Amino acid sequence: MTEGQAPATTESRPPDFHQARWNEALPWEIRPPVAPTPVTSPFVPPALQRKASLRWPELTELEMVRHYTRLSQMNFSIETSFYPLGSCTMKYNPRVGEVLARRPGCADMHPAQPDSTAQGSLELLYRLEEALGAITGLPNVSLQIGAGAHGEFVALLLTRAYFEDKGEERTEVLLPDTAHGTNPASAAMAGFTTREIPSKNGCVDVRALSEALGPKTAAFMLTNPNTAGLFEEDVLEIADRVHGAGGVLYYDGANLNAIMGKTSPGKMGFDVAHLNLHKTFGTPHGGGGPGAGALCAGSLLKDYLPVPRILKEGRRYRWSYDFPKSIGKVKSAYGNVALNLRAYAFILAHGEEGIRRVSERAVLNSNYLGKRLGAHLDRPFKTLVKHEFVLSGSRLKERGVRTLDLAKRLLEEGVHAPTVYFPALVEESLMIEPPETESRHELDNFYDAFVRALSDTPENLHAAPRNLAVDRVDEVLAAKEPKLVWRDL
Amino acid sequence: MLAELGISSVEELFQDIPRKALVRKIGLAKPLGEEEVVGRIDGLLDRNKPLGEFDSFLGGGYRSLYQPAVVDGLLQRSEFYTAYTPYQAEASQGTLQAIFEFQSLWAEMTGMEVANASLYDGATAIAEAMLMARRLHPGRRFVVPKSLFWERRSVLENYARGTGAEMAEVPWDPATGELDVDTLKRECANDCFGLLVEYPNSFGVLEESLPTLKSLIGDVPLVVAADPLSLLLLEPPGSLGADIVVGEGQGLGSSPSYGGPLLGLMATRKAHVRQMPGRLVGATRDRAGRRAYTLTLQTREQHIRRSRATSNVCTNNALVALSFLLFASSRGPRRMRELIESLAERTHHLADALSHVEGMTAPRFRGPFLTDFVVGLDGVDPSRFLEAMAERKILAGTSLADPRPGAAPLGFSGLLTSVDGRVDNRAIDRYAKAAAEVLAELRRSP
Repeated sequence: MTEGQAPATTESRPPDFHQARWNEALPWEIRPPVAPTPVTSPFVPPALQRKASLRWPELTELEMVRHYTRLSQMNFSIETSFYPLGSCTMKYNPRVGEVLARRPGCADMHPAQPDSTAQGSLELLYRLEEALGAITGLPNVSLQIGAGAHGEFVALLLTRAYFEDKGEERTEVLLPDTAHGTNPASAAMAGFTTREIPSKNGCVDVRALSEALGPKTAAFMLTNPNTAGLFEEDVLEIADRVHGAGGVLYYDGANLNAIMGKTSPGKMGFDVAHLNLHKTFGTPHGGGGPGAGALCAGSLLKDYLPVPRILKEGRRYRWSYDFPKSIGKVKSAYGNVALNLRAYAFILAHGEEGIRRVSERAVLNSNYLGKRLGAHLDRPFKTLVKHEFVLSGSRLKERGVRTLDLAKRLLEEGVHAPTVYFPALVEESLMIEPPETESRHELDNFYDAFVRALSDTPENLHAAPRNLAVDRVDEVLAAKEPKLVWRDL
Repeated sequence: MLAELGISSVEELFQDIPRKALVRKIGLAKPLGEEEVVGRIDGLLDRNKPLGEFDSFLGGGYRSLYQPAVVDGLLQRSEFYTAYTPYQAEASQGTLQAIFEFQSLWAEMTGMEVANASLYDGATAIAEAMLMARRLHPGRRFVVPKSLFWERRSVLENYARGTGAEMAEVPWDPATGELDVDTLKRECANDCFGLLVEYPNSFGVLEESLPTLKSLIGDVPLVVAADPLSLLLLEPPGSLGADIVVGEGQGLGSSPSYGGPLLGLMATRKAHVRQMPGRLVGATRDRAGRRAYTLTLQTREQHIRRSRATSNVCTNNALVALSFLLFASSRGPRRMRELIESLAERTHHLADALSHVEGMTAPRFRGPFLTDFVVGLDGVDPSRFLEAMAERKILAGTSLADPRPGAAPLGFSGLLTSVDGRVDNRAIDRYAKAAAEVLAELRRSP
């Protein structure tokens, strides 16, 4: 379909989709482990010798290949399905990253190698730091970050160190009621109390924030665009107010995909930002991780960043530990280098125009799909959104249906469900993020699937999903009688 | 799409950004085609000298072992590789069952009752275990070995900062490198909420006192940081009274990749599971009564409990955990045991060869060891020795000293030495010969 034509009709045929349903046994059911025997080794003192050898099955290679291939077939993934999971930025992960990360120069490197033998990695990381500094406007970067939440925690450790240095006792972190759950959890881990600022029309209520700010305020944590997909238009005033109260303004980079080359955390007045390289810069999500993070700091907090940091001296690069105010280490070695390489490849491939176009397309996709779906479910806030938008499924309740049922019914269409029940300030919320790598064709297909799901009978919605590896899973039973390892079965 | 939105330019979608906050130019280069990207990155990687160009004796928790082809082959299945967190259980049975198997595997290796779906790495897993111990037991001090590698210690201190917890140290026995049990007992009786023991410790030494410690410390939680491969030979910590067992899992199934991604392992007792951080997968039923898997006990986690969560951790290192599981499944217990025995045998051969080198004490500590040991280099700067050895294509070991200016000195001059999966007897002979030459040179020109 070309621009301007009538939208696809809802009469389009549902996909004849069925997920594999293997009822796959567990490895020890395929081949029972041999009976344990005592393990003796000349290198282990008798008191420490293993009395019973490891109980684990010895599968043949074919048994193993079949088992795990079958398991893989009972998974949705970006490479098989549209995956509009809000706040997760499920974009395509370019394959070239996989090829490069398997080069010996990336994979077969030990972190204790002398710097002289790792000049390529050091230069690559240095250049990635420069690029991320340019994108965020916060030029001092540490890549020693395991994932987004880890970045939040470390940023708050920097904040703590900064105020200790200044001799100020500031104990409270403020955050909007729309904040990701990791924000308050990270603040608590770093030893701060937290206080939620209520939202007004989905954005920070600046007056409520101003009233909460004070001599106890260490930081205000904000993501912009926020978790409702809305750009916080008062961000400059927020920055002034937070800085006026002597606090640190922290940027949660989970939603950076919406604004690259348009604005930046630095331009908006933030002092420090964490990035999720696995979201914005296309490193694979891997079934829930490993993530990859970066922490970008302006002048206020740069001295406190973790060591080591890379120094460039002429054409040589080296790790330096000589940063007396640094908080030290937050993770082994230098961060997730093999993922950082993929992120750098992503940035090289996109370049100046491409990175800007990532955000333009993500925002266009989101507004387009938001407009179309907004005809069917309530949109609680303003309709100009960034990379994601929120719908409320509260109207479904009239038919005895919940957002959860709609999500499960969507799975039957072979598309992943949106994020549901977050943000919590919207009743029965669905949070939808269609990243820039999705075409209009996919968006229209999703629209059709969504409308088919919405207009299905309550019985069918309650029964969903019926064509996946398993039917609706009993999560209550799982929590009531936890069975967490095979011996519990 | 623009027409559907009634706008003429995508710029209109960004009109909510204040003018003063607009960015005109990022400052990145022009886009590159895929071939150029490959060329550019290969150009950088060509400036690296990977382990394969050396005889490598680097260990210290990282391993570079042969990876069976089947591991990466299965790992790269799109459906594993490009899925996200299995929030929608029905659409994610593959990832969920694999994590359930992984949890079962780590529980079996450690002799514990439950394991989580993994954490970032071994160092942060120790730190999370410390925070968990603090939730389990009153007290202000966490007792750690003085031998603990400075990097892990620094991570611990950072994780402790927000809790007001303090570290108390147990020195090593100067002869064996093992924990000084008298001090340990005293420290654990003094306002202590947990004890950390490494198995083996950061000097590679096995703590022979470990089986007796739980009875000495009573109800103080015992945290054991164990090397997974070594556990094929060692009595599982669960049988020795451990309350939490953590570890670094990179060595099984993944390449070292200059330090990341890694794999944080954690297991505990059932009684403590509600204080455990990180994701957990449980087995349950679907509506038709089929066995099914789902994320469970999520009320511990940040997305539900927010500031009162057990941890802020959101991701697990699922793909690295899958590699660990695939490696273990591919090798099986028997061949994994043969692998660790073979590594231990070569390490002992190395110690023997180096013990004849003038200027070296190998091993520096008398305690039992498997795949890592300390070489004493009295009177020689370890960094100069390492550089000179690297020029001879030998990566001779890892410096144990804290490199931060002003840091407390280690108290002895030495290196942690190990054997890479590729090291054979000839490589060991080359090490001994080169070390003798280098040390002689360094003595001549100190």
